[in-house]
Amino acid sequence: MTSLDDARALLAEFPVVDGHNDLPWALREQVSYDLDARDIADDQSAHLHTDIPRLRAGGVGAQFWSVYVRADAPDPVPATLEQIDCVRQLLDRHPRDLAPALTAADMEAARREGRIASLMGAEGGHSIANSLGTLRGLYDLGVRYLTLTHNFNVAWADSATDEPGVGGLSAFGREVVREMNRLGMLVDLSHVAATTMRDALDTSTAPVIFSHSSARAVCDHPRNIPDDVLERLPVNGGVAMVTFVPKFVLQAAVDWTAAADENLRAHGFHHLDTSPEAMKLHRAFEESRPRPVATVATVADHLDHMREVAGIDHLGIGGDYDGTAFTPDGLDDVSGYPRLIAELLDRGWSRADLAKLTWQNAVRVLGAAEDVARDLRATRAPSNATIEALDG
Amino acid sequence: MADLQDDLHTAAEVGRADEPYPQEAVVVGPEEYRPVSDPDDAPLDRARAVLAAHPVCDGYSGLPWTLRGLPWYDLDLGESAVDADLPRLRRGQVGAVFWSLHLPDGHDGGRALTTTLEQLDLAQGVVAAHDAGLRPARTAGEVVDARNCGRVAVLFGPAGAPALGDSLSVLRSLHALGVRVLTLTGTSWAGPAGLSRFGEEVVREMNRLGMVADLSYASAPTIRRALVVSKAPVLFTRSGARDLRPHPANLPDDLLAAVGEAKGLCLVPLTAEQAGPTVRDVADHLDHVRTVAGPECVGLSGTYDTGGAHPQELCDPSCYPRLIAELLRRGWEESDVALLTWGNVQRVLRATAFTAHTAQQRRKPSTATIATLDG
Repeated sequence: MTSLDDARALLAEFPVVDGHNDLPWALREQVSYDLDARDIADDQSAHLHTDIPRLRAGGVGAQFWSVYVRADAPDPVPATLEQIDCVRQLLDRHPRDLAPALTAADMEAARREGRIASLMGAEGGHSIANSLGTLRGLYDLGVRYLTLTHNFNVAWADSATDEPGVGGLSAFGREVVREMNRLGMLVDLSHVAATTMRDALDTSTAPVIFSHSSARAVCDHPRNIPDDVLERLPVNGGVAMVTFVPKFVLQAAVDWTAAADENLRAHGFHHLDTSPEAMKLHRAFEESRPRPVATVATVADHLDHMREVAGIDHLGIGGDYDGTAFTPDGLDDVSGYPRLIAELLDRGWSRADLAKLTWQNAVRVLGAAEDVARDLRATRAPSNATIEALDG
Repeated sequence: MADLQDDLHTAAEVGRADEPYPQEAVVVGPEEYRPVSDPDDAPLDRARAVLAAHPVCDGYSGLPWTLRGLPWYDLDLGESAVDADLPRLRRGQVGAVFWSLHLPDGHDGGRALTTTLEQLDLAQGVVAAHDAGLRPARTAGEVVDARNCGRVAVLFGPAGAPALGDSLSVLRSLHALGVRVLTLTGTSWAGPAGLSRFGEEVVREMNRLGMVADLSYASAPTIRRALVVSKAPVLFTRSGARDLRPHPANLPDDLLAAVGEAKGLCLVPLTAEQAGPTVRDVADHLDHVRTVAGPECVGLSGTYDTGGAHPQELCDPSCYPRLIAELLRRGWEESDVALLTWGNVQRVLRATAFTAHTAQQRRKPSTATIATLDG
């Protein structure tokens, strides 16, 4: 048997829990939620990284669907509810393949039934509009993690890709984390500044996650996790889910992207601008200087390092499919996970290690957050703190 | 159809398989009303007896918005800062109440939604914190369950249409969160000109979900169109008779007649502004609506904790028996009182759920947008 066969056999028993997939956003952008126009029961490889046949081929057993919305849109909360509604419709349409899941027990039940446990994560504190009531509304609608920021700061938390604001978490930001602990909503520290990571780890009494982040020591990009934070995961109990996005994981791609961004800025655009004019400039740059390509080994290098620093019990996978334009060679879409597992088998990872990486760690973390919530709910009432009262 | 009934109907005896199934056991029809009060008793005693069997389902309470401003309150033992604490709800024999998710003027866009979500969250938190007296309810069946458990059922709504931000996805999310009534005013698609094409789609999607349309304060064209478009009965959470008192939310006779024809439900508010300063004024409105729209189309809306003035004898929900006594004094049939207090709202909730069940067989969630329909 080849290691790829071994990987497939392993995934049949311990499938992948993927921490972050932007299919709902892609459906919003491409077809305004016309789910007939992108029926994920069939092959959608012409348009999307994700469809059910490829999720099956990739050995995915649980997916956190991102209900991301743009932070610069005027009304992020209604848009977030639209994203949630999209996920609910996907679940209604594909009941044989997608199982609604809110708890660790639901995830295990889905695995036994051979369905893909479907959870939701909101990407960015802007989705709660500084309102703990709205946070609880998202929880009630099924959202099980909140990434504290996206690419820009929110009033109460600093982003990794923005200038320092409140210097980590503000007092209200810490209250958001405490309320998430009380609810049983996972605190997601992807996208946040290292200062925010540290403040959140100081505040949270439940394990945290990084839904899609890799190791900064391997590739120096602000979206990745510094070692001093990875080192804290064993005490916290959380999980860092390695991401595949080339411009975060491959140093050559980081440098290339920096040069491309510089090129955009030199022509008077913001480096995150996706307008047609900006994209045209971007393509011209790419023609003059080929884009470096990440591979399965690049991602495995991150996992090797993260394992060294955080330990095998604190690793997971968060591909960011349909949230990134480019993917590593061999991990081109959601059917690629077996190749990553095969690579790790070749590097000597044991079956027990890989079961933790793919399935057990992530499920354990959600279950632990539920346990913390059960205790906290017995003693603490819902917080009605406001940002005005706490941050002045 | 058995799941649409409140009460268990007498089943055929078990174990007689050789006999044909008795026809009378499967026929479902209007049950004959059995009186519960002694006609010779004083009206107030009779009122209490009727309410014991058919408690008040109060169609509008502003409690969530009022509690939002209070740093501390005790609804269990009594709270002077509100009209509707639990002791007074119990004295008034209230069995169910709709808690409105009030939108102050000027809240629109994302702010309208967060204001609504925050109030819903607060309302659900208050119900959870008072589980000895209150119980959340989403369906007619859950309302009956709550009553059977000795709790006051709390339904969430009406919410304001601006909270939707013109999005049917948001409508579906609010429904998933437990909102069951939406007031169709204050948006471009339900304004003075009536329902736009998107507005009609909103009503159809509400039918599909099982969300009741509230048309109090809606424009006459909106009301007329909604009566035609909606496959489920519509509700007026706060409307009296315009003939008796000129108030924009009160209904003129032609609309009341149309509501009666469509088997909608007009809930008369117990406020001085809309009904008048005395209990007799409120009874006059109830008389009028019953006459014009019909006994199946009139109900009660306390409109407590909204900041408005109430008739002196109806200053809080504990006063409902006085109002019912006044109606009995005027010769209302007990059966009509039972419809007024409880039966009509139950009918609307059941019909709404039934419409939703059938619509969901035929229709998928609507993907219509205001941009495509209203251009």
